[in-house]
Amino acid sequence: MEQQKVDMFLMSYGKYFEGHQLMMLRDKLTNLDDSKFIQLQAANLKDPTTLLIVSIIGGHFGIDRFLLGEVGLGIAKLLTCGGLGIWTMVDWFLIMSRTRETNMQRVQSVLY
Amino acid sequence: MVEKNNFPYVPNEYESEKASNSYLLSLIAIMTGFPIPLFNLIAAVIFYFGNKRGTYFVRWHCMQVLIAQAITMIVNSIAVYWAVGVLVWNFTLTNNFISFILTVAIFNIIEFIATIYSAIQTRKGKHISWLIFGPLTDLLVKE
Repeated sequence: MEQQKVDMFLMSYGKYFEGHQLMMLRDKLTNLDDSKFIQLQAANLKDPTTLLIVSIIGGHFGIDRFLLGEVGLGIAKLLTCGGLGIWTMVDWFLIMSRTRETNMQRVQSVLY
Repeated sequence: MVEKNNFPYVPNEYESEKASNSYLLSLIAIMTGFPIPLFNLIAAVIFYFGNKRGTYFVRWHCMQVLIAQAITMIVNSIAVYWAVGVLVWNFTLTNNFISFILTVAIFNIIEFIATIYSAIQTRKGKHISWLIFGPLTDLLVKE
């Protein structure tokens, strides 16, 4: 893929991944075929900060987990009222890194 | 109560953040669930399992928090039971009760301060091992 496109992608989505993953991602994207760029843009990446805000506001109903695509955990969280508030609170600290991990998995599914 | 030890490797920025979050969570759990000792332990267990696939540094600090919370929960539960007994069920108010409650209060204050200190230092990438819980964590968490 063209260097310009790779840089544009990393500028737009850099904060969606863990810092230590960026170098590896840059190398992989540089070697990626141009035809996969559209697929990459359609990968439905989530903003960790948005997920944190959703977790604070709607964490008791499991909305953050639904947005991440973890429907089972979302339903469990919804039915238990956010694990009686405990799970909700734990998720305030976990959700950002979980979102970055999910984003990386989605990009990897395009890369490989 | 706490000591800075050498860790087998230098943790990354994101590892320090996650490890520090385990102490922060424990602080918030203490504040929100203070009357119910079990609340802190459940929060620590969920956080540990959330980071079960994390790096050695992250798992180590999550486990240290978990062990600390487990022991604190046992001590606090006894204190709550005894206090309720004295206040509601007319247990005798003895010197043993007063000394136990004072000991528990001091233990909780020390743990609270150690947690704040560990959260700050761990965020800087320093490895903080607590007096009894540190060696215990070494035994339980494998690299």
